[in-house]
Amino acid sequence: MSALISISKAEKSYIQSALEATPPLREDGRSLYDFRSVLLATGVAPLANGSARLNIGKSPEEGGGGTEVLAATKLEVETVDGADAVDGGRIVCTVACSPAAYPHLSPNALDDLQHDYTTTLHQVISHPSLHPKNLGILRGKKAWLLNLDLVVLSDAGNVYDALFMAARAAMWDTKVPATRAVQYTAKGGNAKKPADEIEKMETEGDAPSGFDTRQIPSATDFDLPDYWDEGEVLSGRDMWPLCVTLNIHSSAYFLDASLKEEAAAPLKLIVAFAFPSTSPPRVQAVRLLGPGDVPHTRLKSLVSEAGKYAQEMYNALEVKLRDEDFRRNQKARNRFAQR
Amino acid sequence: MITFASFPAPPEFDAYLGTKHYEDNDMEVDLNEDDYEPSGRKLTSPGEVLTSSHAFMRGHGTFVENEEVIASVTGTIERVNKLISVRAIRTRYNAEVGDLVVGRITEVQPRRWKVDANSRQDAVLMLSSVNLPGGVQRRKVESDELQMRTFFEEGDLLVAEVQAFFADGAMSLHTRSLKYGKLRNGQLVSIPPVLIRRLKSHFLSLPCGVDLILGLNGYIWISKLTKANEQEGEEGFDAEAVYSSRNDDINEATRAAVSRVTNIIRVLAAHFVPLTDTVLLDAYEWVIEQEGDIKDILSPEVGEALVTAISAQR
Repeated sequence: MSALISISKAEKSYIQSALEATPPLREDGRSLYDFRSVLLATGVAPLANGSARLNIGKSPEEGGGGTEVLAATKLEVETVDGADAVDGGRIVCTVACSPAAYPHLSPNALDDLQHDYTTTLHQVISHPSLHPKNLGILRGKKAWLLNLDLVVLSDAGNVYDALFMAARAAMWDTKVPATRAVQYTAKGGNAKKPADEIEKMETEGDAPSGFDTRQIPSATDFDLPDYWDEGEVLSGRDMWPLCVTLNIHSSAYFLDASLKEEAAAPLKLIVAFAFPSTSPPRVQAVRLLGPGDVPHTRLKSLVSEAGKYAQEMYNALEVKLRDEDFRRNQKARNRFAQR
Repeated sequence: MITFASFPAPPEFDAYLGTKHYEDNDMEVDLNEDDYEPSGRKLTSPGEVLTSSHAFMRGHGTFVENEEVIASVTGTIERVNKLISVRAIRTRYNAEVGDLVVGRITEVQPRRWKVDANSRQDAVLMLSSVNLPGGVQRRKVESDELQMRTFFEEGDLLVAEVQAFFADGAMSLHTRSLKYGKLRNGQLVSIPPVLIRRLKSHFLSLPCGVDLILGLNGYIWISKLTKANEQEGEEGFDAEAVYSSRNDDINEATRAAVSRVTNIIRVLAAHFVPLTDTVLLDAYEWVIEQEGDIKDILSPEVGEALVTAISAQR
């Protein structure tokens, strides 16, 4: 993928020689491994099941600027009948780039860019090892389809990290509505039975054969026991991956590049990590983008370094997400108290 | 190091308080009086009723609905006789002839370059409006057209002056002075054009060894100081030096100063402080006194303190 903006040779060599200097210096005085300030809010889209807005590099006073990403999840019921739908639910990620974020790109180039982002994100997030347990509704009949949609509203560099952070925050925020299975029976004229009564109903009829070990689900449909309840959180929400982009220039690398720095050091290594609660961060995906190469021996150390930063990012994000939860619950409580 | 913060809270919106502005609608009364002087302090908001369309004509930034002139942008009201217009605060650069601008080449075309100058359309730099090697008075020949990329290529930054306008409103630039030309040894920072004040000179030298070019289009070039005796004289027009893309050796202190000035300008722009040479000097001195790290300038607390200190001095 080529650089998104063009900079002059003089600017490029200015940035590169500053990175090579000792101590290295970046255009805004950061050290190599510093991030710009990250702004995050969850629950920004009222109609979504979970949502987040994230901005890297904007100062709170400014009206615009920074890399801004909006992420939202929406759950949809699917009938499992052999088409795309999978028993136990599935996740589909889509990334869209606002033309306002890339005014210089042609519509075709924008489509390509969206496709790149979509593929990377979808492959990592919908990986079976991360599949949440509570996306199924009725075994073999109904399942949730989780649509994770992200929009890049503006780009000031480091889009991959922003996308993954926003995706994680939105997934963390997602609530799955509680469902109850119902079945239809001819006997007794009682059309609906809650799930816990199903077994009783069946034992009243002819006894199942001892040879029949298949589990034949008898529930045919479901309903929502409590319409107003948002539901339970998506299981395994601590696992959702984060990615760290290492921008590699000669023997050094740096994090959170601005657009100009990306143009001056176009080779980047993207490593996505998942965070199982019991074990250390697990590598979910590695991508090497841009011209140039990295020797195999160096790759290993780079990936382990990335793990260190991913863990830092995870810890900071975790604190922020819990803060956000608290803030929103507090607000809801205050509003309730005012009534 | 990574830290997360919250978005600034939006002003608390109450649907029942939203209709309040009907009461303080004295602007309409003011405008109808003949001796009305636009104070320049009052900002319009989009949709605000300015005056009746019977007495006044609508200009830029306004529209007419229900026989009333209504502002369509946030900005300051300007009145010329019976013409009411609103000059928008957040806008692209509106060029005037003689303005100094910093631009970036976007395209090389036959006998001209297209230049991004933060305006609505790309500006044009004709091959006939640049100084070419071999004397100022030299005629342009075909070989010059064939090697236009040796002068400026895509992505190059340059400083130029607005020469004229084309019929479609695009501006034509020229670099026919030794002050103008290709930029190197530094970095670019971009701020809203409205924040650049018109100054006696837009080439500033700060005592910290940094040269500044404040383009009126909001692009600011911050670079290593060029010594006066190294500036090319009229007779010593050196094409090698003028069109070179190679940076000089820049020492660590200069780089730090360039980054510091960049951050100061960003903070001032974020707080919407108009930029002049004195403001920049005061801000730089304040930052040096604080002895903080360069990247700390961008933190909200330091930025707040900086702006308070600057506005207290004036």
